[in-house]
Amino acid sequence: MTMRLTRRTFLATSAAAGSLTFLGPRSLHAATNGTLRFGLSAYPPSFDAWASSGTAAGTVKLLIHRGLMSFAPDGSLRGELAESWEVDDQGAWVFKLRDATWQDGSPVTAEDIAWNVAEASKPDSTAFLRGQLQTITKVETPDDTTVRMITEEPSAVLPGWFAHYNMPMIKKGEAVDTTMGAGPFKLDATDRGVSLTFSAFDGYYKKGLPKLAGVKATVYADENLRVAALQAGDIDLIEYVPWQAMEQIEQNDQLKLDAVDGPFMYLTFNGKRAPFDDPKVRRAVAHAIKREDIVAAAFYGRGGTLAHLPIADGSAFYNPDLADGWAYDPDKAKQLLAEAGHPDGFDCTMLSTAQYGMHQSTAEVCQAYLSMVGINVKLDLPEWSTRVQKGNQGDYDLAVMGTTAANNDPDGLSDIIDGSLPASFVRSYGLETPEISGYLKKGRTTFDEQKRKEIYAEMEKVAIETTPIVGLCWRSQGYGMKPNVTGFTNMPGQLTFYSGVTLEETALG
Amino acid sequence: MRKLVLPVSIIAVILALVLLAPVLPLADVRAMDIPHRFAGPSMQHWLGQDEFGRDVLTRLIFGARASLSIAIGSALAAAVIGAALGLLGGYFRGLVEILTVRAAEVILCLPPLLLALLVVTILGAGFWPLILALTILYTPNYARIVYAATLQVRGLDYVTAQRALGTHPLKIVLRTLLPNVLPPLLVQISLVIASAIVIESGLSFLGLGVVPPTPSWGLMIRAARGAMEQAPMLLVWPSLALAGTILTFNLLCDRLQSVLDPRAVPAGGAIWLRRRKPAASPPRAVLAGEDPVNRRAVAGTPPAAGPGDLLAIDGLTIALRRAGGIGSGMELVRDVAISVRPGETLAIVGESGSGKTLTSLALTGLLPDVLEVTAGSAVYVARDGRRLDLLAEDEDGHRRLRGDEISMVFQDANAALNPVQRIGEQLSEVIRAHRPAGAAEAGREAVDLLRRVGIPDPDRRARAYPHELSGGQRQRAMIAIAVANRPKLLLADEPTTALDPTIQAQILALLSDLRRDSPEMGVVFVTHNLAVVAEIADRVAVMYAGELVEEGPVAEIFARPRHPYTAALIGSVPEGGAERLVAIPGTVPPPGKMPPGCRFAPRCDHAEKVCRQASPPEFRPQPDRRTRCLRFEEVT
Amino acid sequence: MLRYVAYRSIVAIFLVWVVVTLVFLLLHLVPGDPAELLLSQGATAADPQAVANLRERLGLNDPLWLQYAHHIGGILTGDLGTSFRDGASVAGQIVQRLPRTLEVIITAALIAVAAGVPAGTLAAIRAGGWVDNVISFLSSLALSTPVFVVGSVVILVFAQELRIVPAGGYVAFAVDPLRHLMLLLLPAGTVALALWAVIARMSRASVLDVLERDHVRTARAKGLSRRRILTRHVVRNAMIPVLTVLGLEMGTLIGGTVLVEFVFNWPGLSGYLVSAVDARDYPEVVGIVMVISILFVFLNLVVDVVYAVLDPRISLAR
Repeated sequence: MTMRLTRRTFLATSAAAGSLTFLGPRSLHAATNGTLRFGLSAYPPSFDAWASSGTAAGTVKLLIHRGLMSFAPDGSLRGELAESWEVDDQGAWVFKLRDATWQDGSPVTAEDIAWNVAEASKPDSTAFLRGQLQTITKVETPDDTTVRMITEEPSAVLPGWFAHYNMPMIKKGEAVDTTMGAGPFKLDATDRGVSLTFSAFDGYYKKGLPKLAGVKATVYADENLRVAALQAGDIDLIEYVPWQAMEQIEQNDQLKLDAVDGPFMYLTFNGKRAPFDDPKVRRAVAHAIKREDIVAAAFYGRGGTLAHLPIADGSAFYNPDLADGWAYDPDKAKQLLAEAGHPDGFDCTMLSTAQYGMHQSTAEVCQAYLSMVGINVKLDLPEWSTRVQKGNQGDYDLAVMGTTAANNDPDGLSDIIDGSLPASFVRSYGLETPEISGYLKKGRTTFDEQKRKEIYAEMEKVAIETTPIVGLCWRSQGYGMKPNVTGFTNMPGQLTFYSGVTLEETALG
Repeated sequence: MRKLVLPVSIIAVILALVLLAPVLPLADVRAMDIPHRFAGPSMQHWLGQDEFGRDVLTRLIFGARASLSIAIGSALAAAVIGAALGLLGGYFRGLVEILTVRAAEVILCLPPLLLALLVVTILGAGFWPLILALTILYTPNYARIVYAATLQVRGLDYVTAQRALGTHPLKIVLRTLLPNVLPPLLVQISLVIASAIVIESGLSFLGLGVVPPTPSWGLMIRAARGAMEQAPMLLVWPSLALAGTILTFNLLCDRLQSVLDPRAVPAGGAIWLRRRKPAASPPRAVLAGEDPVNRRAVAGTPPAAGPGDLLAIDGLTIALRRAGGIGSGMELVRDVAISVRPGETLAIVGESGSGKTLTSLALTGLLPDVLEVTAGSAVYVARDGRRLDLLAEDEDGHRRLRGDEISMVFQDANAALNPVQRIGEQLSEVIRAHRPAGAAEAGREAVDLLRRVGIPDPDRRARAYPHELSGGQRQRAMIAIAVANRPKLLLADEPTTALDPTIQAQILALLSDLRRDSPEMGVVFVTHNLAVVAEIADRVAVMYAGELVEEGPVAEIFARPRHPYTAALIGSVPEGGAERLVAIPGTVPPPGKMPPGCRFAPRCDHAEKVCRQASPPEFRPQPDRRTRCLRFEEVT
Repeated sequence: MLRYVAYRSIVAIFLVWVVVTLVFLLLHLVPGDPAELLLSQGATAADPQAVANLRERLGLNDPLWLQYAHHIGGILTGDLGTSFRDGASVAGQIVQRLPRTLEVIITAALIAVAAGVPAGTLAAIRAGGWVDNVISFLSSLALSTPVFVVGSVVILVFAQELRIVPAGGYVAFAVDPLRHLMLLLLPAGTVALALWAVIARMSRASVLDVLERDHVRTARAKGLSRRRILTRHVVRNAMIPVLTVLGLEMGTLIGGTVLVEFVFNWPGLSGYLVSAVDARDYPEVVGIVMVISILFVFLNLVVDVVYAVLDPRISLAR
């Protein structure tokens, strides 16, 4: 885990230092030896391949690992280690592997894949998708390049699991936190908490990729400094562009911004306690908040309002007629409150966190609007870790949350709205949603696209009515980069944190 | 106290703003106006609007409420707890000390931020947890300071006395110790308030502070830092408020310090450190000046101002210098005239406050900055034959003479020697300051000098620090420094007073030896001890209340004093030459309350009406004697 | 002297043990479960069974006393344990991080002393004059401007506008000495600012105090030059209390440079501590706090010994 000084890293850093002496536009175009300098927002807490270790770790995993599947820059599902995938007539998924090699030179075999599924679904596994993988009852490897997965019930969403950046494939027998994968880059050196140095893996199965000679990822935890580093020319690409800096990056002709609306902010409720155990009160909250102000105040206008379930309007599952289901309507909110027996409002505690400005600002705006309909909100703003625990334990009345769904499929919303899942801070606490759970289950086992659309439309209708969560706004997720960075794509919608996959196509022009 | 007016009034204004905030005509502190976020200053919003369109001025004032009450609250709470721990630990020592002061020091080992983080995460963010965290944070500081101060006071006589009398320990702690540790405590409080304001802002910046929408300066800075590009002024206002408040508290702290510990430092610093001669001091008439002439007319002609004198002081007047201050111009020494011939020892005798020490300091330009020579001259014949007026010399002129031609021996050698420099170095530096000598050569000479003044094992002693020497040895070393360059004039200011009688005798013997070795050296020996005078001096000058009252040869004066004060002094010396002057009724009048006539009249048995009317002139009962008494003939 | 050091060391060990125990217990009182946090990174729902598995693996299901015994046992055998997050050796990480923090603190102290002692001395010898007022004002300003404001302004001006320095970060000295030093100057200079104010104020008070001492009058009576009196008899004596304060200030800075490290992206010990607390990485927090308290106690001891060396009147024998 110590800094290993290779000739390449030496050249890269000295080139960076050298650019300081040549100020001006020239330095912006100075070759960085084909090594992309990437400003990360956090250092991966661990290299555990299957654990949910955050988006920064996700990016790192997408550099060194590959899964069976992934998403293409346009958001469509595509094969990675799997060349093809299909459901056979018994309802089992069959993956045909392509001719790929691990970074140690050995071939990726069906046995490796089967081992991954078995290990990640073990009872003592800490894999993010452990629960889902446990529904795979058997993995068969008829030959070296074929993997057949048999599930209890046919599953329409299984390939999506294997596209998740928390489900990459590692070589059989490797430790779960191995940094040896089948991905386009090899991890050469790490300076824990500071930086990671990658070099291109010349045996990568996609011909001609990766285009970069390497990636030097440096952690800039302070968002303002991350932007400053990009502007100062210290790095080529940054993730998590803070919203207040987006305009300035757009207007700077030495820089470019690639932003998409993907992650979203919403409110969760404690369904075990009055008054939010009453759907009417929850819906009153949904109508009480003017979402434009959240977008303006918390996100500097970078995002969009969200007055229904977080299904993007570009999605095939978008329901235009439900889009304003929770529209701002204070009179309706007051009326609902009166119906629920709270004509004079009530006092409650809103959980958010002071650690992230957007969570805090969102909470402040919600507080202001809720007070207008008589709901007196006291803010509880602990640091993030405490907030997570309080959310998990239901130690709140209502809470501000922000996240992305697992993918762009409505099934990706399960974690957020399925009340049958165990308690978690990402969803309302102790709020039963039997109808929604039923629709989600039905959707998972339905293969027909049109039928799925109908199912999820019904589900959204119920959700608007029962309000298990309150959608607040989409927030823009941006990458900032120098103009000479090409081939890097901020992937659409919920997939924005999968964008690291396009680093294989990224080049420095 | 006038110094405190400015900071106290600023703080009063701030506190008034803070306390009156709810009734002032301010905007609603929480009302958002998101369409007008980041709007600049306007009629409604004097300082503009913040990221939620809220009024910045209002939030600044309400923010002060949170920031200041947290800072002041925790500073006071920590002061009370810390002072209690420090007092108890310092007074009782032992186990109590471990349980109080040492226990508090555990907190110092914890990084402050971790401590705040732990307190705030365990108790939840907010006003009270923050006060608690800061209180815990600052308690050890107070405990340490009060502990140290208590240790100092504890050893003092009056505390020991109370303890011996059986006063309840708690009463001693509260009544006697607490008032004594209060000054450092007060200063610390204002320091801590300033520091707590900064820490509060830091914690709010990290999200560990005040909970929004309650404003605090830290929260405002945190929010503004993100929007630095959009609205830089949002960062400026709270930062200014923070800096301004802290500046005020620091000012208060500085002023408090100087009020509690009044040092007479003139504005602009110690005068001797200034490069140029101070322009502030009024032009002083010298030698042929008018003022001294007038005085001389009263005083008569100075005696023996002849060519044979080594030093002839004339009309020396020293007054308080305090521009516009109380007692400015008050004369502490008035119209003193004395002379010293080469090889002669002149003793200046008088009670404390008679001005004898000031006279010797004035000659070398070492008067404290609050005093200045307002008139007179002191003509000194230098080695090269030049005649210099010592009172007209500037610091550089004095410096060339000091330690070389004119050197001084001070009363308390313990304080007069640099505690952290070796004796040998203190000696050799005076040699090297006036003579071109190498370090080694000067070092050797230093050892020789130590030997000469009778210090045993001088090689080893040269490497010792002053505190490693006995009191007598320190005074010998002091004398060695004074005679290192074979001065023409030695000014010894009570060199034996602090020593016990046996050592005193040895030092006097040493001085006699030195005089024998340097027959040309003139000595001015300042003392209040007549027995010493009799032993060492050729002539004696008696001073009283800043004036020279009698002067003449020792034997004659002792045989027949011509001033009632001299007579009383001689009469007060018990047989056997014991230390103290006794039994002159009354006290020396303080400088501001000098009687109009003869200054000794109130205490004088011989005083008549005429004595109280005008200051008596000088009389010459004999050619070599002077007295300032109208009735000198009646005195025996 | 040796006996004194030995005595103080025993007290120090006791003190460190108290601190470690205190932190260990407090940490377990703080809400937030390390396993749950680790598995819900990126605002995702953690699988309860996975959390339970991780808790078991990390030994978090053991009773508290057993965890404590394990921990103390490890420390006694020189093992600070491994990170809950990625299994990195805590001792190894501290060894890597600590020098970087010390580097900042020591550089800051050097700058602060080099600029603060002359400023304080000048203020004292011109006490009440305009120089004094200016220095007093500047030091108040330096004390009152939060480091994160200073940091942001420094980055904005020097990195973004003038492009003289990089926008924070860290490069190993061995990789690029020049860049390393430039990057070091940012946090060190910012820390030095506040430290400078403290040193200047202390120096001023101390010099004023010494100027009134009899031995300075003696030095003048010896006819020494102003310069020699100032350097050998005033400043040298006045520096003794200043050094004490400097030592204590440096002690609190170890682990107290959080904001500076954050603002300049300097990967020191304080930032490490905060990230460990955020992740509830108990072995890391306890290990770091232990090292910080050892250093603090050690520094205090050094200050006392140096004090005794500088001021021969102080005797360390009890």
